[in-house]
Amino acid sequence: MRRLRLISRLLPRLGLRARITIAFAVGALLMSAVLAGATLGLTRQNLLDQRESSATARTYQNARTAALQLPGPSDDPAPASSDPTDVLASLPTPSGSNPVLHVGDRWFARAPEYGQDTLPPGLRDTVLDGQPALMRFDHEGATQLAVGVPIDSIDAAYFEIVSLGELEDTLESISISLLAAALITTLAGAAVGWWASRRVLRPLRGIGDAAHAIATGHLDTRVEASDDADLATLADSFNEMAVALEERIQRDARFASNVSHELRSPLMTLAASIEVLENQRDDMPDRARAALDLMVADIERFQQLVEDLLEISRFDAGVMHLDLEEVRVDELVLQAVTNSTDVDVPVDIDADLAGVVVRADKRRLSRVIANLLDNAAKYGEGATRVELRRRGNAVQIAVEDDGPGVPPEDAEAIFFRFNRGSSAGRRRDIDGVGLGLSLVAEHIRLHGGAVWVEGRCDGETGARFVIELPAEAAP
Amino acid sequence: MSVGTRILSVEDDERIRTAVKLALEDEGWAVEEAETGEAALATFQRQPTDVVLIDIMLPGIDGFDVCRSIRRVSDVPIVMVTARADTHDVVAGLEAGADDYLTKPFAPKELSARIRALLRRARSSESGSTHLRFGDLEIIPDEGVVRRGGEEIHLTKTEFRLLVELASSPGRVFSRETLLERVWGYGYFGDGRLVDVHVRRLRTKVEADAANPRHVVTVRGLGYKLQA
Repeated sequence: MRRLRLISRLLPRLGLRARITIAFAVGALLMSAVLAGATLGLTRQNLLDQRESSATARTYQNARTAALQLPGPSDDPAPASSDPTDVLASLPTPSGSNPVLHVGDRWFARAPEYGQDTLPPGLRDTVLDGQPALMRFDHEGATQLAVGVPIDSIDAAYFEIVSLGELEDTLESISISLLAAALITTLAGAAVGWWASRRVLRPLRGIGDAAHAIATGHLDTRVEASDDADLATLADSFNEMAVALEERIQRDARFASNVSHELRSPLMTLAASIEVLENQRDDMPDRARAALDLMVADIERFQQLVEDLLEISRFDAGVMHLDLEEVRVDELVLQAVTNSTDVDVPVDIDADLAGVVVRADKRRLSRVIANLLDNAAKYGEGATRVELRRRGNAVQIAVEDDGPGVPPEDAEAIFFRFNRGSSAGRRRDIDGVGLGLSLVAEHIRLHGGAVWVEGRCDGETGARFVIELPAEAAP
Repeated sequence: MSVGTRILSVEDDERIRTAVKLALEDEGWAVEEAETGEAALATFQRQPTDVVLIDIMLPGIDGFDVCRSIRRVSDVPIVMVTARADTHDVVAGLEAGADDYLTKPFAPKELSARIRALLRRARSSESGSTHLRFGDLEIIPDEGVVRRGGEEIHLTKTEFRLLVELASSPGRVFSRETLLERVWGYGYFGDGRLVDVHVRRLRTKVEADAANPRHVVTVRGLGYKLQA
């Protein structure tokens, strides 16, 4: 039992397929071992019985023959060939069988190495006491069978020592064959197990592939219906789940999109009305002016938020289309920086970048850079430097700031939606809802690039946001 | 201040219409309102208009149809308002004859700037002096006239301005950015589709075969140029 538990503890670490294969192999091994063992045992018993009965029959026969030829105490005229050695030589025995004769107190053997000393003493005594006996024993490493019959009429005994070496050889070759057969059966079992598990797991793999496809955004992926009743249930359940998931995601995306769309009209009215009020700003009492300024500031935030939410819902609905064109990256970055910030941020451009072209949506990439500068202004005490450099077949646009930097544990999470990083969350005065960086990440992903945050290269504290875009050769 | 400039604003949302009217009136312009496409066309026929502002999403006949109907009879500058910039709406609206577009929600200041650029361009084409000739194409900037093979062809103000801009340096390649800036008054981040669609519209009028243009030629990756 302990062993079994040990095995079951070890097995779960292996894959289902490996376990099925091992189970098949072990089953085949056990079955072939039992079969081989039984076959070997029965064959051995059978052959031994045969040998024993034929040896016994022959020994009795030869004993009778010897009894007739040897001179008895009552026989006056001795028979023609009464010498025990001659009698022994004349007895018919197959090869491997050695007769031994005991007449009076003397021993006669046909082969000198198989004499009375070879016979087991127990058997010898029993026979000499007048009881026929049969015994198997080892002699010089080989199994021998000894059969002894007393010849009471002339106070003699006849023995035969039969070598079972030949039988052992036969059994050995049989067991080798059986072992080979067991081995082949085990391998065949393993092969069948491997094949069967493959067949069994094939539908599972199909479902696994479908799940992976869904996870990577192909929401319309479905599993093919199966004819097999057992598998059909699984496939049906999976497809039901996929449909429900797709509907749910689309409903969420539609909801976000609809809400943002509906917000546009009132926003439009608000923005226009506030602008009309702004034209009258100078004629307003101080308190009204202060209130108007608040409205102006927040309507901008509101507009930006709706714009960001719409953009996000486009990503979610999978309807985001980039307006890609080939743009000179140095020009684009300079324009984007000038366009999006009032502060003078130095822009360092690698000399060998002049004329390098990227395939980009100009206005969206500009928004990305604006978002990074905005992020630096809100959380990083303002951008200190924008760097543009070439890295092999890519260009890197980096925005550095003077802030506290981004702790490594936040480096990934700050690109998630509505996440402003653990340190930013404590600062109540900062406006922004945390969509900026997630939009950066989504846009850059759609551009086939990558974005990440690291520490500043010059060793000062501060964050360095890097965008990497694939570069094209200049036209 | 452009006193006397009349703007027709077509928008079905009453509050937006009123707010935009207030903002535009602050610029010193006279604003005529229309709630539907049908009303807009009736108003347009009834009185002279300098700029038309059309929301694409209208009940009844939509903004595209209003745009096309006006284009059939007039070269008045048209600004259309779309819900989104990345849909086909923009290209469809420009192809229907709009000169420029804005996406909701826009700041009225931005709208005023667009209107001013359109008005400036419509007037600037009235100055100039030379008589230009490109093969069978004849351009007389000071008269606002273009002839092909001696026959006068009708261009909108924006198309005419684009052609004159290209004709100012024959053979020179103008980038989309340059044309956006000179014709529409946009900076680097203007929408290049404005140029592309206007070039397409221009070609259907000045080229014998618009699919194989001889005069207004695309220079791949760089821009457009005008040649004989």
